[in-house]
Amino acid sequence: MDLTLTERESIILGQDFLTWLWHVTEARGGVFKDKDGREFHLRMEERLSVQGGDGEGLESASVKSPSGELTEARSGLRTGKKVNRAQLRFDRDPESWQMTVKDSDFSLSGLKTPKIETKDREDDDPDARVLEKLYLVEQCLELYDSVYQEFLTVRLSAKWAEETRTVAAWIAKG
Amino acid sequence: MKPLKEADVSILSTSLGITRYRVVEEIPDSLWREVPKRLADNAFRDIDATTDERSWGWCNLDNMLDMDWAESPPEKGHYMCFSLRLDTRRIPPAVFKKHCMIALTQELAQAKAEGKAFISKDRRREIKDQVMLRLRARSLPVPAVFDAVWNTQTGRVLFCSTNSKAKTLFEDHFTLSFGLELEPLTPFALGLDMLGEAAASRLENLEPTSFT
Repeated sequence: MDLTLTERESIILGQDFLTWLWHVTEARGGVFKDKDGREFHLRMEERLSVQGGDGEGLESASVKSPSGELTEARSGLRTGKKVNRAQLRFDRDPESWQMTVKDSDFSLSGLKTPKIETKDREDDDPDARVLEKLYLVEQCLELYDSVYQEFLTVRLSAKWAEETRTVAAWIAKG
Repeated sequence: MKPLKEADVSILSTSLGITRYRVVEEIPDSLWREVPKRLADNAFRDIDATTDERSWGWCNLDNMLDMDWAESPPEKGHYMCFSLRLDTRRIPPAVFKKHCMIALTQELAQAKAEGKAFISKDRRREIKDQVMLRLRARSLPVPAVFDAVWNTQTGRVLFCSTNSKAKTLFEDHFTLSFGLELEPLTPFALGLDMLGEAAASRLENLEPTSFT
């Protein structure tokens, strides 16, 4: 596989991030703080893929589990695979969001925001629905970015070695 | 180009596919005022009455038939909202093959009547091209619409698709229209945007972590 420099770095960052995130969401009971210090919950649930190897030896395993048990993906981590796609659920009282993130380019799919009222609105502004939706989408991206920024800070610091050992111990424990 | 699977992706959809971008260059303040005109200058042009295979350009986010922004302006709050419309005429290969067979059979019969035993390669190509044009004239373009939202405060752009062909078309048409380049916010680009150029060398020299 011929990758340009930043494509290679993006896959490294994306997979390290999503794998780290899985551990962190469990270790902290899913509790994170947004940029204003407000608590929110983040869970990785239902759908997740792990990937390992490269070139023709690329192996992946996707798990879909409505109950949230991702045991088979966990065992993939033990053989050196990393998370390459994950469904994330954000909850910040009283609202919740859901989206699926891909490792290599951070493209987002299945992004669901809290519902916006579409009928019987008395807004004078015809753009109100679009603006409300955009506000909700951007809120979700902000929460996501705050978690990614936290990851980057650790990933680029001397603490990463220690963090790696913690994640490795969690993976080994199964 | 094959028709895109995800057509009509509205920002109001319950389930959204999104690609995030930053604008590489500094956005001149004067540009925001020019956005409506630049959108109109690069608006979608209808091909229903032609035999063109495809056409693309901007249209009103509120109405894909509105290429003059007569129904509503692109400015909504602090966002510039517009859509990329792409119409494609696609002739199913089996239909094309059948009509080529019909045309070539006719041509061969005529050639034989004139005492010729075969149809030249060039003539075959010509016949195929004519068949394609005839079929296109009879088929209606299939429209696809992808919403785009440009935040004038952050300069960031959201494009409602993750389809690589739609993304490339969007990126190119955006550059053509506004003279600005879009960079998808991949893990690397988003990291660089968050941490600043000072972090570039650290981000560029990463090795994958082994967690086992």
